[in-house]
Amino acid sequence: MPETLLQVQDLAVSYGPIQALRGCSIEVRPREAVAVIGANGAGKTTLLKALSNLVPAKSGQVLFRGEPLGTRGPHRLARDGMLHIPEGRGVLGTMSVLENLRLSYDIRPAKLSFAVALEEVFACFPRLSERRTQKAGSMSGGEQQMLALARALINPPDVLLLDEPSLGLSPRMVKEAYRILRMFRDRGMAILLIEQNVHIALGFAHRGYVLRQGQVMMQGACSDLGSDPDILKHYLGTSVEAA
Amino acid sequence: MVGDQIINGIILGSMYALIALGYTLVFGVLDKLNFAHSEVFMAGGYVGLSWIALGAPVWLAIIGVAAVAGIMGLAVELISFRKFKGSDGQITASLSSLAVGIVMIDLVQKYWGSEPIAISLPVALRTAGFTLGGMTLTWLKVGILGFTLILMIGLQVLVQKTALGRNIRAVADNPASASLLGVDVKRVNQQTFFIASALAGIAGLLLTMRTGFASSDIGLGFGLKALAIMGIGGMGDLRGAVIGGLVVGLCEGLGFQFGFGRLADIMVWVLMIFVLVVRPAGLFGNATARDVRA
Repeated sequence: MPETLLQVQDLAVSYGPIQALRGCSIEVRPREAVAVIGANGAGKTTLLKALSNLVPAKSGQVLFRGEPLGTRGPHRLARDGMLHIPEGRGVLGTMSVLENLRLSYDIRPAKLSFAVALEEVFACFPRLSERRTQKAGSMSGGEQQMLALARALINPPDVLLLDEPSLGLSPRMVKEAYRILRMFRDRGMAILLIEQNVHIALGFAHRGYVLRQGQVMMQGACSDLGSDPDILKHYLGTSVEAA
Repeated sequence: MVGDQIINGIILGSMYALIALGYTLVFGVLDKLNFAHSEVFMAGGYVGLSWIALGAPVWLAIIGVAAVAGIMGLAVELISFRKFKGSDGQITASLSSLAVGIVMIDLVQKYWGSEPIAISLPVALRTAGFTLGGMTLTWLKVGILGFTLILMIGLQVLVQKTALGRNIRAVADNPASASLLGVDVKRVNQQTFFIASALAGIAGLLLTMRTGFASSDIGLGFGLKALAIMGIGGMGDLRGAVIGGLVVGLCEGLGFQFGFGRLADIMVWVLMIFVLVVRPAGLFGNATARDVRA
């Protein structure tokens, strides 16, 4: 196992004349949960999209298990063990819960049979078991988020990229989602988390990066970042206590 | 006889449905209209009569046509659709496919001439039949009807029950989300074009066998009606394409029976206008008809 699982080096992305990322470097080590925090428009979502090759990088590179990603399509990255749960969850609304899970299971060879993996998922998400034949789009936002997370369980990836898992969820569902994510983390799944809710993010991850205007302004252990409220306030326009 | 015209209408309608299925499959997956589709259908007739002129039995000609038409579909995807991604490219891609279709008509006319060409089927194959309750049925008609039915059921099973179909529906739902789930969107697009075009080519051969002639102008007449049928049934809806095709075929058959003559030919367009005024998304479509549904 290499020292770093995912290494982002000087990544820059532009949308026309707008520079969304200006030379951003971060890394995720095996079994590590990393949070990227920052205000709206700091480039957090762009970072994940560039990692998955959903948007092209202007310069810089990304190494996954020591190998450059180059311009491999998103589907290749998924097959190689990178699962990106995008903002809005990326659930296929016209397909049933079972079919959504089946697609995720089929991404790459799995250790367990589909039936066994499904049992584990339904044990963890009893709600999804009740809704298994229902169209994913007809479920509530919270249930859809559960389905999105269940995809990381049915055939676990090496690294999970998560874009704002708490967005649009009730406080109860946020708590539930993070209960599941802590389980993933404790099982040793590497996680790169984008989160606007600083309090939750720093409480969850091992290390964190603060992004502002497409650049990393601060980085360090989450416990250190959380104990420096002045700097956080300066970069995020919010204090940890208030969040 | 009314009964005869009903049978003729159903056969006609099932061929419309085969072509409309291809339009709607491509639209469901790419959100773009493929105007070259009706010309792949037209070319299918010529390719088929060529196979038969070479001495191929009908079943082999059907397989041959499916392969050649499928490859034409791959070429159309490469030329007219690959480069134009997202909603910005919708109109450009459709214009490009229109141009490819017109070039195809011209190439067919260069090679085979602009007059219809007769297919060399044994007379017995075209006339042998039986009567059933006062209707005269030829085995050819029964065969065409049975075969189109098998193809439609086959497509339904493929889309609903197989891994390939699951990928097709995933891309139809949302290409970006599907790609994050490991679905190769480019490959699914190619597979969709191949299947849609193979069906159109087969429809072209079946129509040629039915009428006895391949003609270079059926794409713009017969083929384009299938586009209207997709509108009637609901864009991207497989069930809508089949039911729309049968309804239009029946209306035309009966219209002919009751002496509307050439008016029967514009029935489909009038029907589309009427349906879209009442139900803007078509009979089975919803407001955001982005998915291929059962």
